[in-house]
Amino acid sequence: MERHFEMELEKLNVRLKKMAGIVAIQVNSAMKALMEGDVELAKQIIEQDRKVDKLDNKIDKLCQRIFALSQPVATDLRFIMSSLKINNDLERMGDHAVGIAYKIETLIENREVISLLNLGEVVADLNKLMELMVAIIEQRNVNLVKEIFDLSTKIQFKLQTLSAKIIEEMAKKSEIIVVATNLMLILTQLERIEAYTTNIAESVVFIVEGKLVKHAKLVKENSEIIDFTENIEIGPDTRTHQEEEQ
Amino acid sequence: MAEAKIRSRNLTLHYGNKMALDNVTLDIHAKQVTALIGPSGCGKSTFLRTLNRMNDLIPFVKISGEVLVDNYNIYEDKVDVVNLRKKIGMVFQKSNPFAKSVFENIAYGPKINGIKDKKKLTEIVEFSLQRAAIWDEVKDRLNDSALGLSGGQQQRLCIARTIAINPEIILMDEPASALDPISTSKIEELIFQLKTDYTIVIVTHNMQQAARVSDNTAFFYMGELVEFGRTKSIFTVPSKKQTEDYITGRFG
Repeated sequence: MERHFEMELEKLNVRLKKMAGIVAIQVNSAMKALMEGDVELAKQIIEQDRKVDKLDNKIDKLCQRIFALSQPVATDLRFIMSSLKINNDLERMGDHAVGIAYKIETLIENREVISLLNLGEVVADLNKLMELMVAIIEQRNVNLVKEIFDLSTKIQFKLQTLSAKIIEEMAKKSEIIVVATNLMLILTQLERIEAYTTNIAESVVFIVEGKLVKHAKLVKENSEIIDFTENIEIGPDTRTHQEEEQ
Repeated sequence: MAEAKIRSRNLTLHYGNKMALDNVTLDIHAKQVTALIGPSGCGKSTFLRTLNRMNDLIPFVKISGEVLVDNYNIYEDKVDVVNLRKKIGMVFQKSNPFAKSVFENIAYGPKINGIKDKKKLTEIVEFSLQRAAIWDEVKDRLNDSALGLSGGQQQRLCIARTIAINPEIILMDEPASALDPISTSKIEELIFQLKTDYTIVIVTHNMQQAARVSDNTAFFYMGELVEFGRTKSIFTVPSKKQTEDYITGRFG
């Protein structure tokens, strides 16, 4: 007989996968709408947001319930803690997709700026990133982490180049300033979406291995990852609470 | 690194033909709380009782290996078990106060150890009851029978009785398993306060209790020590699958 607790965990797993799927579609659609100037598609993305918000609440409540009633530990604890964060990251990604969708209508005129930017490649990369994001949530396969990190870095670099290009165009033609500014905002939102995906990959590492790999700068400074499996040797915990907080 | 107060070395124990502990090597550190967890019959209570030789009382027990307390093997022939148990006090699952007054329960140990001075005894009684966080509740009824106290109070009284002998180590065998949540939380808070002065080893079936009160956790299964580590590691990232399965309730 499957335990009630296992069923709750499975329910959480299913909801998280569903959320990831919907958000990935929202992001893909937002980029499609941007490329094709598809206002109808943009409207659909905005409507979808209700669904994402509902699911976000459902996942939060489920996590809260499991914490309160089952006092999870070990892998279960890490999964539920991370589910809350992944859920939050997904919801924010969805919001950025909606933010892009709202701007599609403002881009109807001066669409030549969009073609000038040659967005095709970065859009393809972002689509691939969404695919990897869904896969890592579904499979909890940490082998995908490096691919996600590498692709994210590539996308980041491309988005920066595109921003520079927009500024260059703006300087040349003042009539495109409104469109160009909206495009700049869209690039920022794409950059946020990319960043949330790396957060999600880091959360999956925590679920699977119990290691905290977030905050690349800190990881680099310490030249090591923060590892919950450290301090396994038995001795007094001489660190103060403050040190531990840090 | 804290110094180990107790070291068990290749400790094996048989009840007749049945092996209850299999080659257990474990360091218990001074002034920390060490929790022993594991399913029923895994050897955790047996291990606890080897630490003050309570198993000596059971017939057909055969022990090999060593238990070193302050680097001294307590299983050497010349060890005086009574003195050993003064140093290593014990609190049981079921509170077992004597059918005497609250005062007499605490004063009993010091008295049989030769303290006759009434003033000194009063001091010890007050100190022990204060230390066991029960003084405020019983200070006006020191001459009443201890059996009239609630279960939680009786258990703290038993802890005070242990403290009165001035032990260095306190062994606790499921000290809160028969108590309600409020009394349980008082015992847990008490354990937390006591570790500043005493080395505490606690057996508990309550996983959350082990997580809340202990610094280190040892997981036993079928007489073997499967995993021993910092409690915060054991409950977030256990290194052995058996430990993970046990603490997450997926055992067997």
